[in-house]
Amino acid sequence: MLENVPILSLVILVPLIGAFLTLGLGRHEKYAKVVALAFSTVAFVLSLMVTYAFATDPAGSSASHHNGYQFYEEYAWVETLGISYIVGIDGISLPLFVLTTLLCMLAILFSWDTDKRPKEYFGLMLILEVGVLGVFVSLDYFMFYVFWEVVLIPMYFMIGIWGGPRKDYAAIKFFIYTHVASLALLIAIMAMYFEAGLQTFSMEAIAAESVGFAKGVQVAIFAVMFFGFGVKLPMVPFHTWLPDAHVEAPTAGSVLLAGLLLKMGGYGIIRVAMPSLPAGASEMAIVMAIIGVVSIVYGGMVCLAQTDLKKMVAYSSVSHMGFVLLGYATLTQVGVVAGVFQMFAHGLVTAILFMMCGVVQHKCGTRLIPQLGGLAKKMPIAAALMTAGFLASLGLPGLVSFAAEFMVFYATFVKWSLWVFVPIAAVAVTAAYYLWALQRSMFGPLTDRIDTSHLKDMDWFEYVPVGVLVALTAVFGVFPALIFSRIDPAVEILLRLFGGG
Amino acid sequence: MLEYAWLIPVFPFAAFILISLLPRRTLWWEDGAVYAIGGAIGAMALSFLVIWDVLMGNTLTAGAPRFEWLVVGDFSLTFGIWIDQLTAIMLLVVSVVGTLVVIYSGGYMHGEGETRRRYYAEIALFISVMYGLVIADNYLLMFIFWELVGLCSYLLIGFWYERPSAAIAAKRAFIVTRVGDIMFMAGIIILFKYVGSLDFAELFSERASQAVPADMMVLATALIFGGAIGKSAQFPLHEWLPDAMEGPTTVSALIHAATMVKAGVYLTARSYPLLVQAPESLLFVAVIGGVTALIAATAALAQNDIKRVLAYSTISQLGYMILGLGAGGYLVIHGGSGAGYSAATFHLMNHAFFKALLFLCAGSVIHSVGTNDMRQMGGLGKAMKITSLTMLIGSLAIAGMPPLSGFWSKDEVLAAVWHAGEFDRVFLLLWLMGVATAFLTAFYMFRMWFMTFAGEPRSDYHAHESPKTMTVPLMILAGLAVVSGFALFIGEGFKDFMDGSITGLLHGGHHESLADVAAEIFSDPLTYVSLSLAVLGILLARKIYYVPGFDRSIFSRGFNGKLQRALENRWYISKFYDDFAVRVVYALSVVADVFDRYVIDGIVNGFAYLGGNTGNVFRKAQTGDVRSYTALIVVGICLLLILMLYVIPWGGR
Repeated sequence: MLENVPILSLVILVPLIGAFLTLGLGRHEKYAKVVALAFSTVAFVLSLMVTYAFATDPAGSSASHHNGYQFYEEYAWVETLGISYIVGIDGISLPLFVLTTLLCMLAILFSWDTDKRPKEYFGLMLILEVGVLGVFVSLDYFMFYVFWEVVLIPMYFMIGIWGGPRKDYAAIKFFIYTHVASLALLIAIMAMYFEAGLQTFSMEAIAAESVGFAKGVQVAIFAVMFFGFGVKLPMVPFHTWLPDAHVEAPTAGSVLLAGLLLKMGGYGIIRVAMPSLPAGASEMAIVMAIIGVVSIVYGGMVCLAQTDLKKMVAYSSVSHMGFVLLGYATLTQVGVVAGVFQMFAHGLVTAILFMMCGVVQHKCGTRLIPQLGGLAKKMPIAAALMTAGFLASLGLPGLVSFAAEFMVFYATFVKWSLWVFVPIAAVAVTAAYYLWALQRSMFGPLTDRIDTSHLKDMDWFEYVPVGVLVALTAVFGVFPALIFSRIDPAVEILLRLFGGG
Repeated sequence: MLEYAWLIPVFPFAAFILISLLPRRTLWWEDGAVYAIGGAIGAMALSFLVIWDVLMGNTLTAGAPRFEWLVVGDFSLTFGIWIDQLTAIMLLVVSVVGTLVVIYSGGYMHGEGETRRRYYAEIALFISVMYGLVIADNYLLMFIFWELVGLCSYLLIGFWYERPSAAIAAKRAFIVTRVGDIMFMAGIIILFKYVGSLDFAELFSERASQAVPADMMVLATALIFGGAIGKSAQFPLHEWLPDAMEGPTTVSALIHAATMVKAGVYLTARSYPLLVQAPESLLFVAVIGGVTALIAATAALAQNDIKRVLAYSTISQLGYMILGLGAGGYLVIHGGSGAGYSAATFHLMNHAFFKALLFLCAGSVIHSVGTNDMRQMGGLGKAMKITSLTMLIGSLAIAGMPPLSGFWSKDEVLAAVWHAGEFDRVFLLLWLMGVATAFLTAFYMFRMWFMTFAGEPRSDYHAHESPKTMTVPLMILAGLAVVSGFALFIGEGFKDFMDGSITGLLHGGHHESLADVAAEIFSDPLTYVSLSLAVLGILLARKIYYVPGFDRSIFSRGFNGKLQRALENRWYISKFYDDFAVRVVYALSVVADVFDRYVIDGIVNGFAYLGGNTGNVFRKAQTGDVRSYTALIVVGICLLLILMLYVIPWGGR
């Protein structure tokens, strides 16, 4: 049904049009949320159609496919420099692509009561969606970089305008830190462009050439690229922008930041860095593994000491994205597939967690755990959903993260034998900080340190998106094959570069 | 028939969904109890059909319908069901106790109002996932359900979450058992690497035992047993179970006495084909079991909370089962006899019935008196005839009085440990610990019974017998506590039945006639050693806690009261965790946090500061003075020329 439709471009275009309409509403800004929700829903439905038409076996796709990419589109743009508009989607990008449209839609719904400059707020969210979608489907370095940078700007403004008390510091820090990383990425891209000397920015064309680069060159470029993507991931020790940005960002901003922006880092490594520079990746695998393990353990330990609910959740992202890195570093089919799945899983789960932090902030006026207590009595729905989110995040089987964690541990054991005990021990720490936070904030006697007389349970526009996400974590926890069967063939193609994985 | 066994968990799961989602007015009696009872009964009926089929000699250990969970490359996980004699025992326990407890809850939870909906939903979910754990045919599937029963345990311990002690106990139970779960997961990952499958059928095959190196087999089995240490509350991870008594008593009876805590014993028994390849692990299992049995029994001596006495008693009895399994493994290796294995599983079944009975009796008492503290009770026997009588039966059973069930299975376990002493002397020491435990068990159980039901009331309460929904389950369980021991002599006998599930490990069929089994028990002098010790324990408890005139202040004077304080503080193990282990971990996390804030982020901000200052330097260079610009340009050109003419060619050489 989607044979000759440029569906991917369409999905990118819809939120872009929506953004312009939203920003141009003039005096009718109270409709901004409706327009934004409508356009993001259309984008989501279109992305579902892509998913439906996507063939698990790339060769069997009815839509135009090209070297494992489906819905492939290519138009020359600046021919003298070799810049073209190339998009396509495979099993690695598909889950993230749908995750993007889903989370943007739900984040817009969740922000239903935003009344501070709603036009700009919702418009920026849609622009952000355009950028993230572009990153996940671009197959041309120039386009990739442009979309990559597009994402930064709306997030900068979201933190800087709608943020908390230290928003200026957090916004600037976010922008400069991630921008330095982007520059590293740009240098790496340029290095590959000139080293390949093909006069084209096409990822595939350059990758075909760059796999033959000398090992030293590969390692050097990979290292720079790894830094560029790793800051976004974020990996220890380049993670400190994240807690600051999250603590100050508005809830929807945090949802998109943790749910999508972090995935761009993980996606970049698997889409760009590893297949283009396999020798570099092999050399650097041990570094990736060590950083991954350190992120997992260290992130978890730092979580335990946090008193701000949102900061704790932010650090938990550092810990959980470490699994992505560790999975990649094994360079095995199981590990890499699990790493990609973990990105999707983390996107769903962390969105729940940040939304719940937003609910607590909104209703209680504070997120400081020592100020809270016994909220379950007044907010039973919130308590139930928060418990579900925390359990999903701590890797409870039957919910989405478990399969990824189990497979990463398995792949780690196969590759590095008993070293697996280091990251595996962090699982207990994860359970500890979540359940401890839950006990102190939701359970026990009702707090008297804040005014709870007018405390109400969640509003419909809050529990609907969270409920949808909780349901999805259960669905993909029980039937992970729905996602794995799509990731698997794409990773297999990729790992052929590493001697068949 | 057996291939439909996967439907068993579906009934209670459907009840869980219905109770969670239906509008409140359609929940009918007791806010959803009807659905929970319906689900439990449906599952019980199907379980009985399955058990009957197994009794007829059918098992399902291959060729079950399979569900493909995920496949990545050549890594594939498919799940199915596994029904053998061991499964049948667990099905019997879960179905009978589960159903009776749900019915009993109708009376016990009557005063809880709207929160009953949450209660029944969670308990239905628990029953469902517990069945799932029992019928799983794959370590990973078992692990998934293993974690889910842990989740239900967490939710139900924290049922009265407004009480800080309940919220803390729930958290502690989850985290402590999770430490065990992690070991379990690590163990199955090791097996998975070498065998490439986690199906029991594959792992228990000849091929698998050759694929796994010997040292890895020891490590993997010890780690898998680590899961049992957490779940079955074995030393040193046992302290969560007494705390778990913060939940409703029905939950304690079902989850923390009869079913979930048995999962660790079940796991150990299930892993027998692997354990017998690793004698080091078996010894580890036996020692942990023996130590746990004794430590918990001593801690039970000084508890004043009726439920905590029962909790320590549960830990101690679980230790017995684990000890029996460890010893039984030696018997399998050296003599090809399944005596220890069948003894431990026999004790598992009997204990489930009498311990559920004891807990439900305690619940009936608490329901009536409104306190857990035995020092506030006394003289309840007059007002609560049924409860006091059924609890007496339960106490006699656990103390090992013939002909009640506990006598038979405890004796079998001790006999197995004694015989294992022929192959390793450690077992003789463990046997001594087991016998001492038997004495202590009789003593603390009757201390509890006398303190509760005998003598005069020690506080002002209006005791009344509990309603029928509560007393009928008590009577049924009391009946089971009397008769379940005779399973040893029904049909071909319990031993013969259980041998069926590890038949591949036993050499030949040296079938014992039932008369031999009985003769062996009654002709063995060891039987009379443990029996007389148990009687002594009961008499001593009567002397101290019933016959007036005994000066109990002697306990607080002996050893200057140090021993009593140590017992009351449960050997300070809990204190060690709270005051030391938890603090160390928390201190580390605070150090990590400070490090993150001031060192890592400090460096980042340092760079930013540096950047800002450099910017200031350059800003000052923008003087707007054309002459200084010209000078700079000239200098710059000169530098460039030097660079191009001298440095670059030189560097190229």
